[in-house]
Amino acid sequence: MTLAYSFKSAFQSLCREKWINILSIFTVASSLLIITLTAFFLYNVELVASHLPERFSLVAYLNDNISQEEVQGIIDTLQKRGDIAGLKYISKDDAIKELKQTLKDTRYILEGLDENPLSSSIEIRLKKDFVTSAAAKRISEEIKKVSGIDDVYYGEKIAEAIHLLKKSLQNMSIIIFVTISTGVVFVTYSTVKILFYRKKDEIEIIKLLGATKGFIRMPFLIEGGAIGFFGGILGIIGALLFYFAVTYRLSMVIPILKTLVFPLEILILLPVTGIVLGIVGSVIAIGRLKL
Amino acid sequence: MIAFQNVSKYYEHQSVLRNITFSVRKGEMAFLTGPSGAGKSTLLKLMYLAEWPDEGDIVIGDFHLQSLKTPQIPRLRRSIGVVFQDFKLINNLTVFDNVAMALRIRGVGEKEIKNLVSGALKKVHLRHLSDSYPRSLSGGEQQRVVIARAIVTEPLVLLADEPTGNLDPNTSIDIIKLFEEINFQGTTILIATHNRELFRNTGRRVLKLDSGNLVGGEVG
Repeated sequence: MTLAYSFKSAFQSLCREKWINILSIFTVASSLLIITLTAFFLYNVELVASHLPERFSLVAYLNDNISQEEVQGIIDTLQKRGDIAGLKYISKDDAIKELKQTLKDTRYILEGLDENPLSSSIEIRLKKDFVTSAAAKRISEEIKKVSGIDDVYYGEKIAEAIHLLKKSLQNMSIIIFVTISTGVVFVTYSTVKILFYRKKDEIEIIKLLGATKGFIRMPFLIEGGAIGFFGGILGIIGALLFYFAVTYRLSMVIPILKTLVFPLEILILLPVTGIVLGIVGSVIAIGRLKL
Repeated sequence: MIAFQNVSKYYEHQSVLRNITFSVRKGEMAFLTGPSGAGKSTLLKLMYLAEWPDEGDIVIGDFHLQSLKTPQIPRLRRSIGVVFQDFKLINNLTVFDNVAMALRIRGVGEKEIKNLVSGALKKVHLRHLSDSYPRSLSGGEQQRVVIARAIVTEPLVLLADEPTGNLDPNTSIDIIKLFEEINFQGTTILIATHNRELFRNTGRRVLKLDSGNLVGGEVG
C-alpha cells in the first residue's frame, strides 16, 4: 500500500512540477543520446576490429628440399598447439605463382631465374586472444624450434596496432560513459534537490506524523528513476532517428554507411541505465535524513 | 501512560523547562496551563521528540525516550496524536488527503482510509469540506482538520497544543466535548491551553507551568 502511495505521490509531483521535470528529462535524454551514439560508433568500429585478427597470420618458412612426409609432420605438430586457429601449406610452386600474380606487369624481373628461389611455407592463423605483439613473438620463437622450419615471420607492428586499437576503443568508451553518466547523475541530483527543498515543510510535517525515512525517501527515488527512464526512452527515439537518417538518407551519398549495425541491446540498456543513474542522483540529493 | 522524571530543557544555556516531574494516568484527560512562554508547547514537543530533553527521562506508554533509538522514533510518533498549535497542514493536499496522510504513513489500505477519514471528518463536522484545500478554510476549520488528523488513528495518547486558539467560544466547547468523547473511549489526553474557561468546572486535573517550572496542580 505504501509503495502504491509512493508511486502515486511521485507521479503527482512529476505532473505538478512539470517544467523542471521536462527540462531534466530532455537534459538526461541528450546525455544518454551521446552515450548511445558513442556506443553505436564504438560497436561498429569494434565489429570491424574484431575481424582484423582473423586476417593476421604468421608465416613459417620451411627448409629447402624438405620431403612431403616432413611437411605433414610439421603440420601435425603445429595443429596440436592450442593457440593456432588454422594452417595453410604453400608449396614453392604455389609461392612463385602467387608472386607472379602480384607482380603482374612487372613479372619480367623474374625472367632469367633458372630455378624457383622461394621457399615453401606454412601460413599460420592465430586464435583471436593470441593476436598481441608479445604472444605472436613467443609463439614464433617456439615454432622456430620445430625441426624443418627455417624461419618465422610475423607482422609485429600489425599485431601491436590491432591490440592498441581495441584497448583504445575500450578506454575511450569507459571515459565517455563515466563522464556522461556523472552528468546525468548531477542533473537528477539537482532536480530532486530542488523538489526536496520545495517540499521541506511537507516533509517536516509527515516526519512528526510518524513517517519513516523510507516513506519519505521513496517518492523522490521513484521520481529520480522516472526522470532517468523517460530520458532513456527519449534517448532511444533520438538514437533511432539518427540511425535511420544515417542508414537511409546519408547512405545514398556514402554507401558504406548502409552496413552500420544498430545494437538492439541499447533498447533495454538505455532506460535501465537512465533509471539507475536517476536513482543514484536522488539518493545523493536526499542524503542523510534526520528524523 | 505519560511520566516526566526530573526533565529539563535548555535553549542556548537558558533553561526553558526545569526539573519537571509529573505523570498522567492511562485514560486520564488533563490540562496543562500557564501564561504564554511558560514552556507548555516545549513540554508537549518533548513527548513526540520534536525537541529532545537535556536532562531527565520521559515515558510514553512503553517508550522510554531517554533510551529510544532513532529507528523507533516513527513508532513513538504513530502512537501519539498531536493537535499542533500552528496546524501543520499540507497546503497542496485536500482536507481528505491531509487527514488520510496519518493513515497512509501507517500503510493502511485505501478502502479503510476512506471509511476512517470520513468518520473522523464527521466527528469534527467537516465532511462537506473534504475536497477543499486548507488555504480556503477559516482558522477554526483548519484547526478541526488538525483534530480529525490527530484522532483518525485512534492513538493511545492525544496531545493538543492550544486546540481552541482559533475557535469561537461555542465551537471551543464543542471541541472540548469531542475530546471528552475520545477520552471516554480510553485515549489519554493532555491539553495545553492558556484559556482557563476550557477546564473550568470540568473536574479534570490541571497542571500549572510558570517560567519553565511546574508550580502545582489543581482540579478544574
